[in-house]
Amino acid sequence: MSPARAPRIAALAARIARIEGGVRSDVGGLAFGVLEIDACLPGGGLPLGRWHEVAADGMETELSAAPVLFAALAASPLARRGEAVWVFRRDDLWAPGLSGLGFPAERLVQVWARDEAEVLGVMEDALATPGVSVVFGEAGTVDLTAGRRLQLACERRGTTGFVLDRRPFGGEAKRLGPGTASATRWRVASAPSAKPAEGVGLGAPRLAVTLERCRGGRPGAWILEAACAYGGGPGFYREASDDAHPLRLVAPLGDRELATAGRRAA
Amino acid sequence: METVRQARRLAAVDRRAAALGLQPGQKLTDARARVPGLAVAPAEPEADAEALEALVDWCVRYSPAVAADPPDGLFLDVTGVAHLWGGEAGLMADLRARLFANGLPFRLALADTAGAAWALARHGRDGVIAAPEAQAALLAPLPPAALRLEPEATAQIERLGLRRLGQLMDIPRAPLGRRFGAHTLMRLDQALGRAPEALAFRRPPTPWMARLAFFEPVSAPEDMARVTDDVVAELCRRLEAEGRGARRFALAFHRVDGRTLPLEAGLSLAGRDSARIARLFHPRLETVDPGFGVEAVTLCAYEVEALQPRQARIHAGEAPSAEDGLASFVDRLANRLGADRVWRAAPVESHIPEKAVTRIAAIGAETAATPWDARTPRPVRLFRRPEPLEHVYALLPDDPPRRFRWRGRVHDVRRAEGPERIGEDWWLRDIGDVSPTRIRDYYRVEDQDGARFWLFRAGLYADADAPPKWWMHGVFG
Repeated sequence: MSPARAPRIAALAARIARIEGGVRSDVGGLAFGVLEIDACLPGGGLPLGRWHEVAADGMETELSAAPVLFAALAASPLARRGEAVWVFRRDDLWAPGLSGLGFPAERLVQVWARDEAEVLGVMEDALATPGVSVVFGEAGTVDLTAGRRLQLACERRGTTGFVLDRRPFGGEAKRLGPGTASATRWRVASAPSAKPAEGVGLGAPRLAVTLERCRGGRPGAWILEAACAYGGGPGFYREASDDAHPLRLVAPLGDRELATAGRRAA
Repeated sequence: METVRQARRLAAVDRRAAALGLQPGQKLTDARARVPGLAVAPAEPEADAEALEALVDWCVRYSPAVAADPPDGLFLDVTGVAHLWGGEAGLMADLRARLFANGLPFRLALADTAGAAWALARHGRDGVIAAPEAQAALLAPLPPAALRLEPEATAQIERLGLRRLGQLMDIPRAPLGRRFGAHTLMRLDQALGRAPEALAFRRPPTPWMARLAFFEPVSAPEDMARVTDDVVAELCRRLEAEGRGARRFALAFHRVDGRTLPLEAGLSLAGRDSARIARLFHPRLETVDPGFGVEAVTLCAYEVEALQPRQARIHAGEAPSAEDGLASFVDRLANRLGADRVWRAAPVESHIPEKAVTRIAAIGAETAATPWDARTPRPVRLFRRPEPLEHVYALLPDDPPRRFRWRGRVHDVRRAEGPERIGEDWWLRDIGDVSPTRIRDYYRVEDQDGARFWLFRAGLYADADAPPKWWMHGVFG
């Protein structure tokens, strides 16, 4: 395209975004620092002041370990800016593990709710609380009404939310229509780690991440590595800052077939 | 009727039985011989104690300082509250009317000391009010039993012909103490106000109490909310005037039928913001059943501490400070879900995984323990109870498992790391219990799909017949 048309297209895209979501555009995004991913996301990063869904398959719907890994890594730059709140129904989240990922566990307030409605209620309350920068909730699938409520709560103070799709006590998933109020929907599974440099043991944790839905963006699939977890990688000892995102791209999962295969295997 | 040393005796008698000459302590057979148609029921000391407790709670409407005096009495410290009822006589008349309305048999007395009030209530004229410093004259004609002594001590005093307390008071102190013991002397001094007496009040009395009484009982939900606001505002005004804040508030609704309905709310930081405190009570007001109406409401503040006054923001609508926002969020949750459902994880210096984390209050708690070592891989989810693994194939003696079955699925281990040997805290145990085989060998393994687990073998391969068991303790994701 010619350079003269670019600003007009940008203005049109902004208008369409306004019509589509009534999204507050002033909150900005949190860049992954991985060009391939950031290019798929509107505004060049994970939209802030919105809420994001992180889903999983198979046994992970009960355990929800890979989603925790992904959400904690994606949000740890955010958590350093304020307080974080984690709402769950099953209290098996373990702070030493989070702190090993570089997540500031001492800034995390944990709330043990009794049922799913309470999880969503507490999340809403937390999202609207000043001083809280990121809120995680372990709920099942969020329906459209609950999702809109979460979105309104996010917009009040520009807080970002993560809903980890988890049914901690098993059971069937709720069948929902295709509509959802979340800004993005990710599907996360563990991926086999690389052979470490020393030759024994496990490599840095890897995740097969699929961006399934993204409002104003494009879907995609990648394999990411948390290179800095557990004291590995160069970024760990450095003073943590916003520009050093803990996730690193290993390989794009360009082939959708491959992505689905990985998902089924998990 | 109660059983004392294998003899069935009367524990209490009602008015009509007393008129027939029966008295507590009498043997049941004697009583039956005297009154053939006697109806007896077993004594229920627990129920009596419960009823007394309820009465003590109810009496908080008069004064925050109430002490139970089992088995059948209670002390009400009315210092400084009588003027609310127009003087001591007014207070007693109100108490009398209410007790009477509830159908309780009672005797009242009011005096400078607990001992004198006890003596006058049980052995004096009902409803007597001793003028300040004048209890000696009222006590003088009472029998020695009025001194709260053991029955044997009382009997001994009476054997010596001392039938009235006045005679006891006339005896010089030294011989009196020598003859009847220091206890008698102490009780006498306590009754006369010469020695202090400590009462075990129902709960530590707080000077931070507000009370609202209504001409007409209230019961409508909106009225209940309004009186809650009013009573909170009143106490908060006092707290603010004195530069203090409280962490715990106890609200009590006093119903017309004499029952008291308590509600409690806690703050994580001491506060006196009436709107915020009232909001903590509001969601739970619907659990309060006002019955035929609530005629008084009291609010007590506990854990009162000095609170630096903060300048109110000039822009009232602007966002409050971050701490303020989070503190009120945590308070809302702690009061709605329960304080044990909101926490922060804090490190504990222990190498045993399940002991390495403690839950501390979300606001205001500090920990001095060294943080967890971020370089040792630890799972993001730790099961409260390790789950058993089945069909574990592992090489002896301490190789990680090659394959295992967990939650009905077979996992082939591709990569593994370990063992990390974690021993028990033997220094906390009996020396006989300590054994070098009580260890856990932790492995971090990755299965064919990349899922990472934290599992351990409990113990060593020592006995071929009883191989050690394998357990799943956490997942890394």
